[in-house]
Amino acid sequence: MSNVGFTAYLKRDLLLSYRRLGEAASPLMFFLLVSILIPLGVSPDPGRLAELAPGMIWVMALLATLLSTEGLFATDHQDGSLEQMLIAPQLLALPVLGKVTAHWLMTGLPLTLVSPLIGLMLSLPSVAVVPMMASLAVGTACLSLIGAVGAALTVSLRKGGLLLSILVIPLYIPVIIFGSAAVQTAVDGFNWLGPLAILAAMLCAAIALCPLAIAGALRLVSSN
Amino acid sequence: MKFQFDSVQQMLEMAGHGHYVWTAVLVSLLVMAWLLVRPLQLHRANLKFIARQLRREQRRQGAGEKQQ
Amino acid sequence: MASNRHWTWFYRLGSPRWFYETTGRWLPWLWTLTLVLLTAGLVWGLGYAPQDAKQGNSFRIIYLHVPVSFLALAGYYLMAIAGAIGLIWKMKLSYMVMKSAAPIGAALTFLALFTGAVWGKPTWGTYWVWDARITSMLILLFLYLGVLALQYAFHSQESGNKASAILALVGTVNIPIIYKSVDWWYTLHQPATIKFTSAPSMHIDMFQPLLLMIVALYSFYALALILFTRAEILQRERKATWVCELALQAGKDSAGEAG
Repeated sequence: MSNVGFTAYLKRDLLLSYRRLGEAASPLMFFLLVSILIPLGVSPDPGRLAELAPGMIWVMALLATLLSTEGLFATDHQDGSLEQMLIAPQLLALPVLGKVTAHWLMTGLPLTLVSPLIGLMLSLPSVAVVPMMASLAVGTACLSLIGAVGAALTVSLRKGGLLLSILVIPLYIPVIIFGSAAVQTAVDGFNWLGPLAILAAMLCAAIALCPLAIAGALRLVSSN
Repeated sequence: MKFQFDSVQQMLEMAGHGHYVWTAVLVSLLVMAWLLVRPLQLHRANLKFIARQLRREQRRQGAGEKQQ
Repeated sequence: MASNRHWTWFYRLGSPRWFYETTGRWLPWLWTLTLVLLTAGLVWGLGYAPQDAKQGNSFRIIYLHVPVSFLALAGYYLMAIAGAIGLIWKMKLSYMVMKSAAPIGAALTFLALFTGAVWGKPTWGTYWVWDARITSMLILLFLYLGVLALQYAFHSQESGNKASAILALVGTVNIPIIYKSVDWWYTLHQPATIKFTSAPSMHIDMFQPLLLMIVALYSFYALALILFTRAEILQRERKATWVCELALQAGKDSAGEAG
């Protein structure tokens, strides 16, 4: 089960990201920078910011995740390690899950941890901070999985990035609806565990189904 | 069933909603017509293209045989 | 073997030539049926159905909007199923049907949105409302465009087909999720309750032409799909003998006409 399995690829991708920390940090940088654009572009008035904050934070997190998804399989495809993954005897879903988990650890998790800071800048009510972190943690995991499907489909294409966005954003919509609803519900004073539970259900479904789609798409690329 | 309008003029106007209804109808019919015309165009173009390719190949083969 | 005999109809179905020749025989009937149904439905709906008490005559747009929306959604499922058959049984013809279904579905989705917007103006005072159905239709349009884009992005026809098939299947799983999410989202944010008359509460005199139009649109869709698929067959099977003979024959016919 050793070096073609889940943990092997998890460790490998984390190590690779660690070696190029600058690149790995760019979604985070994007997230922070764009959150400056909101007050500048809309209004610095705390009231208005507080109204927009739940949704805007979620949109920015979604875009930051989308940006980093393109590179998920790209380097492996270029240097041939994707082929190695495909001819390994183990179930393809395992290395795929390893890679996607590493991607989440390097993208979604940092976004989640930084979000209270963003919330502060955008006047997010303090009651919403924990719901926001919870929804981002679960939601970005979904986004990583769904995005990986798009990344696998477009990995062999040259201008894959833009096409990836077109393919993946419709599939992201349920996640952002329930993600930002969790935060908004908390702001309005209601129980936010409902939307969060639905997000968690989506994550379970994604963990079960996305690796199949990703594996299918990757095999297709190899026979291209 | 009775015809709802007293004249063609009335039917075009649709009691003030004529612009909306007839725009919707016209655009729909145009798009639907395109969906039927386009494949016919493609069909004919494909046949022509294939025929031309074949004639070119036949000519080339004929020329090749003459050279031999 | 007995089992082989049971499956021959399925594999024969997968032969592009069989499809081309059989549909060629059906086409005149299908054209007639489609045109008759469409004309009858439109005349009935636009001219003979009673107008709505609240919406007046603008409600007649329903005779285009609803059937087109139906087919837009049904067409996506057909496309996905064709893709699945292509992936599982590696049937070329199935991929061709899938490829043909994409532009038809996208055009119908656009029409659904357009007629919906035109209907919205006199009814709700605005061309665009972010209600559950319209928003879901918009997302469906992007799902279609994604499949189309992916189809043409690959150099190899086969890869493009397989990628589109996978994307279509992923989209299919997502459509109910997307609809339910958007529906939930809209009820959460809905400012005022604006619900247009849905089919069941319609008077029978208004409902019958609607049914006719839905049937007419199904016939239209079948016609469009067959026409696109036939063109695609010619393009893909252009090296086959039967296609070459067909092309040369067509060339002679048109030369005979010109001369």
